[in-house]
Amino acid sequence: MDQPDAVIHQPVRLKIMAALKVMPESELLEFVRLKTIVGATEGNLGAHIATLEGAGYAKVIKDFNGKKPRTRVALTKSGRRAFEKYVAYLRDIIDQAEG
Amino acid sequence: MPVSQNDAADALRDIDQTQQRSARLYGYRVASPHLIVWGVIWAVGYTASYFRPQWQAVWPALVVIGMVASFWFGARTQPQGAVKFEWRYAATFAAMAAFISAVFAILPPVTGAQTGAFFPILVGFFYTLIGIWCRGVRMLIAGVALVALTLFGFFYLQPYFALWMAIVGGGGLVLGGIWLKAA
Repeated sequence: MDQPDAVIHQPVRLKIMAALKVMPESELLEFVRLKTIVGATEGNLGAHIATLEGAGYAKVIKDFNGKKPRTRVALTKSGRRAFEKYVAYLRDIIDQAEG
Repeated sequence: MPVSQNDAADALRDIDQTQQRSARLYGYRVASPHLIVWGVIWAVGYTASYFRPQWQAVWPALVVIGMVASFWFGARTQPQGAVKFEWRYAATFAAMAAFISAVFAILPPVTGAQTGAFFPILVGFFYTLIGIWCRGVRMLIAGVALVALTLFGFFYLQPYFALWMAIVGGGGLVLGGIWLKAA
């Protein structure tokens, strides 16, 4: 990979991907918790999640928990693979500089 | 759009920090219902022990209820569509039962209060270890507080110890579980 994945390279989206990657596969993370972890505003987070969803890296599930609306997010398989490739790309840069 | 070595190092550090935070909060969410269930069980058991000391047989029944509830919550945290028997819960209970049996064989408790203090201290010790290794400050605080309050009750409130443990031990676990859930 000569160039970083532009979708993941954006700092907020990188944090979103990192937060979701550490969850067990198929585990959904609630939007409000993701907001706490990433430290982004609601609108900003929503826009970046939409970008990740558009790239096929994240899936968004909207449902109700009792009577309360709930939005949950998870990485897709291709999202997990893309994140792993991106991390490997970063490690390569450091290894090359050190080697 | 080349990425410099410094940018790469910063990005990896960001990833590491975010993943630690996410894993910690996920751990809190998984642990929370277990604390609440065992808090309720302790509250019921110690209250029974205080007001009806002859009802000691209530404890095995409560422990079975707690184990079933723990299995259920464990199964619920499995990924969707993968709900199955989690052997690690069974193995954990078996290992704890063996450890407790060995300790009591070597150092048999003389009084009921000693037995009543031993279990909360053991649980508090485990929470403390989890807090240290998973960098979960809330878990660490819950563990240290549980041990400290148990020791305080054992040494200074001996006549009311079971009641103390029902309120502080049981209630403390319930509040601790709610606190973790709110994180």
